[in-house]
Amino acid sequence: MSVVFGLAAVIAFLGALGVVLSQRTIYSAMSLVLNMVALAVLFLLLDAQFIAAVQIIVYAGAVMVLFVFIIALLSPGAEERLRSVELRLLLGGVGAVAFTLLIGRLTLNGITVGAHGRLHGALGPFSPVAVNAHGQVQTLGDQLFTTYLLPFEVTSLLLLVAAVGAVYLSRRRRQLV
Amino acid sequence: MSGLFPGFLILSAAMFAIGAAGVLVRRNPLVVFMCIELMLNSANLALVTYARYTHTMAGQVFALIVIAVAASEVVVGLALITGVYRSGRRLDLDELSEMSE
Repeated sequence: MSVVFGLAAVIAFLGALGVVLSQRTIYSAMSLVLNMVALAVLFLLLDAQFIAAVQIIVYAGAVMVLFVFIIALLSPGAEERLRSVELRLLLGGVGAVAFTLLIGRLTLNGITVGAHGRLHGALGPFSPVAVNAHGQVQTLGDQLFTTYLLPFEVTSLLLLVAAVGAVYLSRRRRQLV
Repeated sequence: MSGLFPGFLILSAAMFAIGAAGVLVRRNPLVVFMCIELMLNSANLALVTYARYTHTMAGQVFALIVIAVAASEVVVGLALITGVYRSGRRLDLDELSEMSE
């Protein structure tokens, strides 16, 4: 299990780096696909099979197809001035490393994990064994349509608003407002 | 408790930091959007990790909601980018500053 974790984590990390460091936009998009597939593997390791499937279908499928379509439509080509922003890249890299070290220090120092490697507080009822006995998707669906019904409905409203907004924005007109 | 728990969180932090650095450094709006996706993905990873190790379901439910929010954000953002492109301006965030004035 830890071998799979290591492999998927390295691939996800390299994919994330590729998104930022690629000169061409299409390479960034492909790196993001790599990152998302590796993340789906990590979700499987975390006993979140439904999230892993949704990650592949929605992210690596729908969202990235939209991205690649827009890249092909606009064809921005190479971002030729990436070299002239080396100072910004350096500063961004230093900031990213510092943030990661900070979070890693807090994580390993026991802010999130207790003295014996246990999380603080009582564990909930959804242990992996119990969830798998009932069915992972069934458990998630039960929760989604009972306890978390309001966020679910608000999300559907948000999707409707986004669809209407996208149609409004991409309407043909004389001048962009 | 599994020893992999800090590993997941550190990977999530690293992905978030890389995405944030990309948002600040890159000037192509498409790449900036992809970096935002990266940050949302890292948040998802942290949510699912905590859901798994605290034996709760809320993290997975909200990871689903984050995915829906990210999808709608991409749709609206890409519509904006195509609008900017159609109005004849170059796709460079440093030159697209009239929204802030």
